[in-house]
Amino acid sequence: MKAIYQLIYWSYRNSSGFWRWAQRRFTPAGRCMAGGLLVAGAVGADIEYTVTYQSFMLLLACLLLAVAGSFFFRARFSATRRLPRCGTVGQPLPYQVCVKNLTAETQAGLTLLEDLADPRPSFAEWLAFKRAEARHVRAFRVSPQRRSNPFRLVNLREVEVPALRPGDEIEVRGELLPLRRGILQFTGVTLARPDPLGLFRSFCRVAAPQKVLILPKRHPVPPIALPGVMKYQEGGVALAANVGSSEEFVSLREYRHGDPLRHIHWRSWAKTGKPIVKEFEDEFFVRHALVLDTFTDEPRSEVFEEAVSVAASFACTVLSQESLLDLLFVGNRSYCFTAGRGLARADQMLEILASVRACGDQPFSTLEQLVLGHLSVVSGCICVLQRWDDARKKFVEKLKALNVPLLLLLVVGPGGGISGAGGPLLDGSGTLRVLEVGKIEAGLAKLT
Amino acid sequence: MKTPPFLLLAALLFWGWESGLLAVGALLGVVLESSRIIRARWEVADQDFRRLWTFCVLLALALVLYVFATNQAGGGFSGMVQGPGAVRNAAASSVNSATSFFRWLPMTLFLFIAAQVFSERGAVPLAALSTTSLIVRWRRARGDGLDERYVDVSYAYFIVCLFAAGIHPNTGTYSYFWGQCVLVAWVLWSLRSRRFGLAAWLGMLVAVVAIGFAGQYGINQAERFIGSFNAQWMARFFRQQTDARQSLTSMGQIGELKLSPRIVIRLEPRSAGPVPAYLREASYRNYQPQKSTWYAGGSRGDFSDVSSERETTWVLLPRKTNAAAVSIACYLNGWAQDLGAPEGLLPLPSGCGRLENLPLFILRTNLTGAVLGIGPGLVIFDAHYGPGATIDAPPDTGTTNRFDLMVPTNEVPALDRVISEMNLSTTNEIRLRQAMEKFFADKFTYSTWQGADKRATVNATPLTRFLLASRSGHCEYFATATVLLLRQFGIPARYAVGYYVHETSGSGYVVRERDAHAWCLVWNRAAGNWEDFDTTPPSWVATEGARASVLQWLSDLRSWIGFQVAKFRWGQTNLRQYILWSLIPALAVLLYSVVFRRRKKRAAPGSGGGPAVDDARPGRDSEFYRLESRLSGRGLPRASGEPLAGWLERALAEPALADLREPLREVLRLHYRHRFDPEGLNAADRQALARQALACLQTLSRK
Repeated sequence: MKAIYQLIYWSYRNSSGFWRWAQRRFTPAGRCMAGGLLVAGAVGADIEYTVTYQSFMLLLACLLLAVAGSFFFRARFSATRRLPRCGTVGQPLPYQVCVKNLTAETQAGLTLLEDLADPRPSFAEWLAFKRAEARHVRAFRVSPQRRSNPFRLVNLREVEVPALRPGDEIEVRGELLPLRRGILQFTGVTLARPDPLGLFRSFCRVAAPQKVLILPKRHPVPPIALPGVMKYQEGGVALAANVGSSEEFVSLREYRHGDPLRHIHWRSWAKTGKPIVKEFEDEFFVRHALVLDTFTDEPRSEVFEEAVSVAASFACTVLSQESLLDLLFVGNRSYCFTAGRGLARADQMLEILASVRACGDQPFSTLEQLVLGHLSVVSGCICVLQRWDDARKKFVEKLKALNVPLLLLLVVGPGGGISGAGGPLLDGSGTLRVLEVGKIEAGLAKLT
Repeated sequence: MKTPPFLLLAALLFWGWESGLLAVGALLGVVLESSRIIRARWEVADQDFRRLWTFCVLLALALVLYVFATNQAGGGFSGMVQGPGAVRNAAASSVNSATSFFRWLPMTLFLFIAAQVFSERGAVPLAALSTTSLIVRWRRARGDGLDERYVDVSYAYFIVCLFAAGIHPNTGTYSYFWGQCVLVAWVLWSLRSRRFGLAAWLGMLVAVVAIGFAGQYGINQAERFIGSFNAQWMARFFRQQTDARQSLTSMGQIGELKLSPRIVIRLEPRSAGPVPAYLREASYRNYQPQKSTWYAGGSRGDFSDVSSERETTWVLLPRKTNAAAVSIACYLNGWAQDLGAPEGLLPLPSGCGRLENLPLFILRTNLTGAVLGIGPGLVIFDAHYGPGATIDAPPDTGTTNRFDLMVPTNEVPALDRVISEMNLSTTNEIRLRQAMEKFFADKFTYSTWQGADKRATVNATPLTRFLLASRSGHCEYFATATVLLLRQFGIPARYAVGYYVHETSGSGYVVRERDAHAWCLVWNRAAGNWEDFDTTPPSWVATEGARASVLQWLSDLRSWIGFQVAKFRWGQTNLRQYILWSLIPALAVLLYSVVFRRRKKRAAPGSGGGPAVDDARPGRDSEFYRLESRLSGRGLPRASGEPLAGWLERALAEPALADLREPLREVLRLHYRHRFDPEGLNAADRQALARQALACLQTLSRK
């Protein structure tokens, strides 16, 4: 069976490579002509009843000479790309590329193409994806669950480069549409020159390796009253905001070894002649845990990606409020990131979420232990789950037994769901909401 | 990507010229190009594009069906689906339909392209093309962030016109080539890279045309060259064909004779009594022992055409009394190069005088009784036969060509020794034949094993070794020996090949490839006709049958399926008729679902859990829009991009609308909920929105 999969992978790898090559090498007119060539070949097979074989030969001659005419492109350029630090899935990402003509001739009619690192997965990744897909989609069936190009990272747009005189440098504006979160790696820039017929391109490649982090897609989340109450935070305000001009404090006392210097009350020191420090009231504020369920054996599933998107949406929304947010998840080990009130910003949280990978080699209990260990400091939990199985049910039961306010968000595939999950599930202490892939925004909009 | 001005007109004119529809092409082209002059544009919705596309596809299918059914060259619908002439008719209709479909595409797709060029957007939604709309709908439902994509199909239509112009018989002219060169050059000129000058572009174009011309000329020549070898090349993949001029025997070869159990002929008796035991394909007169081959003693030109009495009735012997009839189904495995149709020798019973229901193009016979048919690959016909005269020419007993009495000199000694061994005292031909039959039955055995004892030596031919040494062999030995022995006795005889009929199957008989047989024809002087005479021991049938595999039923099943497929392919069944009729309800259901179901959905937008018209924008059916339109008509237009709430407040500042302020605000509130509330409006609120909006409208109309 593995040999068959290897054969399919080999054909996939070659066909996608060929398709990518054809898309870059042929101009739109050239692709149109290549398609016409195939049609003419099929229709004109019987040369007794049709004369379209004459079209076939003419189009074939066009393409052959276009390929021949694409040789002998000798040019040198330098290219520098100015990329933003981050982009977001589904949001156009504009950037600039400076191109300089290093030859002694004017270069006109050029097109700028971006070179990306090979997006094709390794055999292991591809096999994992195919096996996961096979659990949902029957073989050789057209299905809405079958994605046309699941490994595509980005939609790129070709950019026309204005004519460059010798030594000229020009800035062109590019734009790409990220399709998947993570690191998008550029390897270089290609300047393409069409043949005289305008069908086939020859390339001049310039190395320009660069990376951009693509953040997860975010959905609008309505203003919601998150579950939980304010809690005492050990460490006080030092853990919270340390900016601003407020000088409110409850009392003064003598300096003790270890007190921070910024707590010294200089006026009192001047009056008394010995160091006096300010005493602050203990801090109470809301701190939430955002628990992301990463346990799936389908690393590229839409459900997992949407779960990350939902977590990112909440991270942005919650961090715009006056509260702390602990992001808890399990990757190759357990992670806990705290953000809010000056500790870390929402964009830093998003960067972490951009790199979250599915966890397929550890049990769900790992996450359970991580969350239970943090319960003493958090006011409530927002759990983004991918499945509603026994392990997760037990986890929720434990949280409920500990009287932790809960908001449970279950992400399911298109048309998926669980019976009776639309309303309150856990008598008053928490609510389970089902978010269906494709209708996530509508599901989130119903949160109150 | 829009086409350059007048390119579509030129393409349609070219198509019209090549297809003989110049006026139509000119009209279509002028209509399309007039969009560059006429500035008026229509708002064609995506739904309309979908409907237009569906209509165009249905129109194309309907036209194909029409051509298929009414093609006069094909004898009309009824003549095409039934009767023996259906093969030719259906073949003509199929070719016409296929070519008409492609040739008329510019016409059938015209409405779609016209809708595009006269639409405001100037492009069609990709989802309108029904082949992709399902996938697009899925992807949108899954939330892939897929925006509605619009494409300009002008170039696609241009390509359709270009190829449709080439759908006509190849008459060897080059008008199509030069015409398409002009059109392609036109397109390439508009798409050329500005980087290169005119000279470089022209140089490339000239080279393209030269290579293209040489290429298409080469294809033409190659096709002719290969075509001349086509029949022989293809024949290698089929069963060896019986040749009316010669029959190469297996005598003298080494090894096991193996013939397949494939069913090649099926018989159904049409009259009482037994079916004929022998079905003869050909007979031969001249034996060449050096090559172990029998020759008919003539050439292919010896065949003469038989005229048909009616279209499918052929009379071989005009005054023959045919006492019996049998239905024969057989394949024509050869290929008539001159007519471009299958050909083959018909296996016929001896004394056959009339063939009925035989849908052949041409039927020919020769002097040795071979009947050559040219027509469909499978024929099922009724053969009427009876004792007495046959179509074979009388024995050639003249002084110059004594073909029917010739005996090779190197076989004479062996034949004489056998004759002496037979020790015959009678000259009566009947008794002679009986004695000969008994002699072979007693002293010879049937064997398919070709041992070394049967191979020719320096002094002995295979036949000599058979007669004198091995005395064992297959039917070709027996038939050849018998013919030559009879000739030694001065009795005209011929070597015949064909099939032996013995295996029943249901109410009829089947003949397998391994039932191929050779026997001899002997001239009955008294009756003045040729008679079958077979000296092969009867055990040969059992011997051949014993070699049947236990999996023969599998082979029979395959043969039966092949036979049914061939019947359908060559129009020997009425299945084609049922398929055509089955298309009509399918099309009717499709039309119903396209026209009526969509209307129903539109008529009931609230049913089925949501608006059916456009799920992406709920609330588009809100009555508030009528209010907006009415107020705009009263000189209170909403600016582009102005929120409804802001516009309404601005409008309500008018003193004349003072009494409508609260009702209108309430209607707007409900409208907003209808448009943007994920929960939507419940039935009562929805009715309230409609009712209050209507009341406001009525109040406005009174003012």
